[in-house]
Amino acid sequence: MAPRLLFRAPRALSARPAVVVRVRPGRRFASSSASAPEVYDVVCVGGGPAGLSLLAGLKASPVTRGLKVALIEGQDIQKNRLSKGASLDSFSNRCSSLTPASVRNLQEIGVWKHVNAARVQPYQEMQVWDGVTDARISFDWDTARPLLSPRNPAQPTTIAYMIENANTVTMLLSRLEELGGVDMFTSTKVSSIELGTDTENMDFTSWPVLTLSTGKTLAARLLVGADGANSPVRTFADIESRGFDYNRFGVVASLSIEGQGWGGPEHKIAYQRFLPSGPLALLPLPGNKSTLVWSTTPERAARLKALAPEDFVAMVNAGFRLSTTDLEYLHTLEKGQAEEVAWREKHTPVNERAVPMRITDVETGTVAGFPLRMRHADTYTGERVALVGDAAHTIHPLAGQGLNQGQGDAAALVKTISHAVRTGQDIGSTLALESYNSERYAENNAMLGVCDKLHRLYSVESGPIVGLRSIGLRAVDAMGPLKSFFMSRAAGGS
Amino acid sequence: MRPQDPARAMRSFQRCMRQSTQLQRPAIPHIPRTSSTATRAFTTTPSRRHNPSTVDPTEVSHFNALASSWWDPHGSSRLLHLMNPLRHDFIASCRFNDALVPSQKLKYLDIGCGGGIFAESAARLPDTHSVTAIDPTPGVLKIAEAHKRRDPLLMEPGRLTYLNTSIEDLPVPETPEEGHDIVTLFEVLEHVNAPGPFIEKLLPHVKPGGWLIMSTIARTWTSWLVTNVMAEDVLGIVPKGTHEWSKYVNEDELRGYFAKEPGWDGTSVRSLGVMYVPGLGWKEVRGGEDWGNYFFAVKRLK
Repeated sequence: MAPRLLFRAPRALSARPAVVVRVRPGRRFASSSASAPEVYDVVCVGGGPAGLSLLAGLKASPVTRGLKVALIEGQDIQKNRLSKGASLDSFSNRCSSLTPASVRNLQEIGVWKHVNAARVQPYQEMQVWDGVTDARISFDWDTARPLLSPRNPAQPTTIAYMIENANTVTMLLSRLEELGGVDMFTSTKVSSIELGTDTENMDFTSWPVLTLSTGKTLAARLLVGADGANSPVRTFADIESRGFDYNRFGVVASLSIEGQGWGGPEHKIAYQRFLPSGPLALLPLPGNKSTLVWSTTPERAARLKALAPEDFVAMVNAGFRLSTTDLEYLHTLEKGQAEEVAWREKHTPVNERAVPMRITDVETGTVAGFPLRMRHADTYTGERVALVGDAAHTIHPLAGQGLNQGQGDAAALVKTISHAVRTGQDIGSTLALESYNSERYAENNAMLGVCDKLHRLYSVESGPIVGLRSIGLRAVDAMGPLKSFFMSRAAGGS
Repeated sequence: MRPQDPARAMRSFQRCMRQSTQLQRPAIPHIPRTSSTATRAFTTTPSRRHNPSTVDPTEVSHFNALASSWWDPHGSSRLLHLMNPLRHDFIASCRFNDALVPSQKLKYLDIGCGGGIFAESAARLPDTHSVTAIDPTPGVLKIAEAHKRRDPLLMEPGRLTYLNTSIEDLPVPETPEEGHDIVTLFEVLEHVNAPGPFIEKLLPHVKPGGWLIMSTIARTWTSWLVTNVMAEDVLGIVPKGTHEWSKYVNEDELRGYFAKEPGWDGTSVRSLGVMYVPGLGWKEVRGGEDWGNYFFAVKRLK
């Protein structure tokens, strides 16, 4: 990979995209035989949820429908499509919590009608507690209403929707097929991005020109980087992305629990316990399925992944029930957690209704881990470049906001492009893109900051902070309006 | 292209700083284009000189000097760039009640086009047939031509044509029907020497049923304070010497002119005051046409 990198200017090599990014302005006069690049209005690199949502949004609007757009994706996106009759006994371990705001946007651009609804689980309540002090806060729209005000029957009760990422991608692809008009270059890599040249008729020196692995070249009026945390587009645009690694891994798994949950099928509950090493979350899926996100140290993550299924299940059950001291010990064992947990639980009084129902099984091959990072690009726009989703920001997963931020980016960029088209602006000009950057940057930065602070706050095991954070949590829990504010923010604002 | 070396990075940083300070400053600024001498006697009496030009040579050299920064998003024309979308909104609002023929595409004539901010944007709209854009300042037209080459859409034959000419030298359409659907005169009137004869010259270029659309500044003590004293002298966000307050034309003067002008629909007149609010951008201000920047539109009778 290394020899393919070709950087002419000194730059941070933190990201190592397998794309040749030549930054030297091309001032060569193209007299050579190289065929002229095909000119596109929007070239989106990356076919994840953010990129696909952007394209669907552009094609769904009569204002932007006429734009010539292309998608470039290294993988065969059709391969990961969810089949219509997929069994409800098996769920992917890659799930996200879609906020009502994200769902509303997907509805508006005609995507949501393609969802595989049987595999989506709305939840109505969230239980969050401190693993050290047991201070607890519960979120549901009913208790969050202003004091003494009557319950509003029209008030939506859904906090968010649990959905497999494959389901999100599949509905977006279905909508794009229905709309048509996107040139899809899939299973195709970008081999280089460089600025164009000044030819006899045209001055492409401000235009990114992409060369694909097939040899085809595309000139982009606007190049959208939806190409993930190590975004080659961001590198091309020379936009720095700053942040740090949490030295934590997120362990995910698809689990079966012993029933539909304490609230039954109509009132599903999400659980999150803040442990000193990171939050442990169990989010409801249809039927008796749930998905796990356990943020913990790399060593513990590695050990969890290596456990036998019965020991893994015992560890997760213990994670919601036993003391942090017990858990610390259990993490040191190489095996035999099942027995150890059974014995310790006998001596730990637990209000079973306050913790998730017992986990009975883990789906084979679904235990996986990924490093947690926080990254934020210095800006989301450059001349003829815009970044969306993980290319712009990577967030701690504790609030489940990553995918939603990407959806919010896509919707905002569609709005910006649409305004530019209506008023005849060049959609790649920095002036036209300004509103996208100013709208999204502040919003995402605030969310990144809050999640980061929460992570730090709950990493503390003893001392005055532990007491204070418990008081804070209990106080917020007692104050309906304040809770309502937090819930609205988490739901994507309204 | 992109800041690579430290000096370049520093320059772009300084640009950013300039921009952010601009945004914090209060102003209703205003920016320029063509033309001339004399005070504001708003008359239609033609001058006695043969083929009198309304173009002021000192204005031409002023805009030649500004040309290089025309397309810099943080340069001296930033406020014009930011105002441009409002022009389209205003045109759309004027044409709202016109009977629309879906297949009919519009012909624009942009007078005093400068670096082509409006001309380019009009040429990109899907319902545009063609844009002819004229300016007497050779330097800014060179900038306009060079910038046009950066967009293949604008290079489509006939879509956008720049002419280095004054309105006096632009051939009058042989028949009224060959005129333009929309003739625009943005931030020009306040720079011309004799607005009466100047407007007289451009009327034949509007097709019957078409619109003359302009924007300018009212000649009031507020506009003098804002555009001359604040924007140019105190804050320096508009280059010095851009404005001569005595050349400004008031909305009621234009209204009165078109009420008497044969062939023009005095009842179709629309005007809209606009103001630049730091941090928020250009905003419409009801009644603002009487004391600041304003748009003005009038329709030629069919």
